[in-house]
Amino acid sequence: MTPFRIALFTLFTALTGAAATGCTAVQPWERDLHARADMTPDAQDAAIDDHIYFSKEASSGGRGFAGGGCGCN
Amino acid sequence: MQLKKPIGASLAAATCGLLGALPAAPAAAQEVGDWDIDSSLLLYGEDNDRVKDVSLDIAIHRALDEDRSFNLNFTVDSLTGATPNGAAPTNEPQTFTGASSGKSYTVPAGEVPLDPSFLDTRIAGSANWQQGFGEASRWNVGLTFSDEYDYSHIGANARLEHDFNLKNTTVYLGVAYGQDEINPVGGAPVPLTPLPGPSDTPGGEGEGEGEDDGGGGGPSQSKDVTDLLVGVTQILSRRSLLELSFSYGRSSGYLNDPYKILSVVDPVTGLPAYTDQFPGALGIRSFLYLYENRPDSRSKQSAFAEWRYAFDRDSMAVNFRYMTDDWGVRSETAEARYRWNINDRSYLEPNLRYYTQTAADFYHTVLFIDRPVPQFASADYRLADLDAYTVGFKYGHLTDRGEFSVRLEYYKQEGTPSPGSAVGELANHELILPMQAVIAQFGYRFKF
Repeated sequence: MTPFRIALFTLFTALTGAAATGCTAVQPWERDLHARADMTPDAQDAAIDDHIYFSKEASSGGRGFAGGGCGCN
Repeated sequence: MQLKKPIGASLAAATCGLLGALPAAPAAAQEVGDWDIDSSLLLYGEDNDRVKDVSLDIAIHRALDEDRSFNLNFTVDSLTGATPNGAAPTNEPQTFTGASSGKSYTVPAGEVPLDPSFLDTRIAGSANWQQGFGEASRWNVGLTFSDEYDYSHIGANARLEHDFNLKNTTVYLGVAYGQDEINPVGGAPVPLTPLPGPSDTPGGEGEGEGEDDGGGGGPSQSKDVTDLLVGVTQILSRRSLLELSFSYGRSSGYLNDPYKILSVVDPVTGLPAYTDQFPGALGIRSFLYLYENRPDSRSKQSAFAEWRYAFDRDSMAVNFRYMTDDWGVRSETAEARYRWNINDRSYLEPNLRYYTQTAADFYHTVLFIDRPVPQFASADYRLADLDAYTVGFKYGHLTDRGEFSVRLEYYKQEGTPSPGSAVGELANHELILPMQAVIAQFGYRFKF
């Protein structure tokens, strides 16, 4: 296991654990910070990045559909 | 403590559901009756005169009422430049029949061969309709298409989302299906057969892609792509949320890159083998290159996690992806961005990305003449052991009607040749050329 993979696994486990056990319901009137536009990923930037990396690397998908539809060089 | 919260912000927040899962539009863009236009111009350029892309993207979003909205997206790409053809460098000039153009080109001694004739225009579009049902559910259906000179795609997708636990938890399930048609210039080559020598090709000084009649002689090829996606977005606290998703994708059909070849070399000297050393090869004696061959199916699985955190003024996001497939590729991706909200109207968002992948089982930088030709082989460096880094930032400025933004990023890739390929003469050369690219994106988002 590479150090990168260990770090990834640790963080993934910690976050999943936090999600499963550590969270109390946030009430609707406590959503001011979550409602801020900068807390939502920019869909257009994400689509552009996915297209670039799909064309240049052997991976795709993750956040959304794996994509395709391109004879990219 | 709760009494100290600003009432206005609380009321505003109370009207907003959780919109963390794409492709939902940002919370700020959900006002009924407005047209939200998100436009961007992307300039992408690689070093060594490799690929350049100018891309214009327009996304239109409109909420018809609180439950129904649609998205339209249109993209035009103009691509030019050179791309590695898969062959290895050697100590003599190499001449190739341009697989993607029919023209011959010569690569100087010692250089990684790049096919300079890459030229294409691509258009792509999508349309999605989202509608709420019940108290806390939404469905979203869409169509996608793209068309370029030798490749076309149509597809459909559907997604179901459901909120529960006071909208602290959103689960989603998506499915997408695409059908792609590939019309390689000159027809799809027979895999693992020799590339014709320059003088073997009728009309060797042939025409460019844009002037041919749509892919040439051979029958068109096709592939089907099916993707499944399941995920959950969980609010962890007033400041943070976590999104986890798992996706499975399966492609089947023609998965070769018809323009990629492999060099066949002597296992001791590393010098190119000749066509007359290959059983059944016809034509004039020349260096031996074989067309690549990939399996006709591929299954990918990926796990993705993103954590987003809001500070009083700023915010940050960190995400990881692990992907594995049945071609032997395993990849890990980590990304982080920090949004510095400088003031009410401006922000700066630095970002970092790291990517690493293992090579596909059938990736070979070169083939050796004394060994049997493998069932599958490709020298496409994108299937090699590869590391990549991206560093950049985005600056945005809000106006009364919209937002201008500039994004500037630097991307670098470094591939590792397959073990044992740097034999003899090949040890003197860089077998995979590192690639650096600059990504510049200019955006304007507005409502009317």
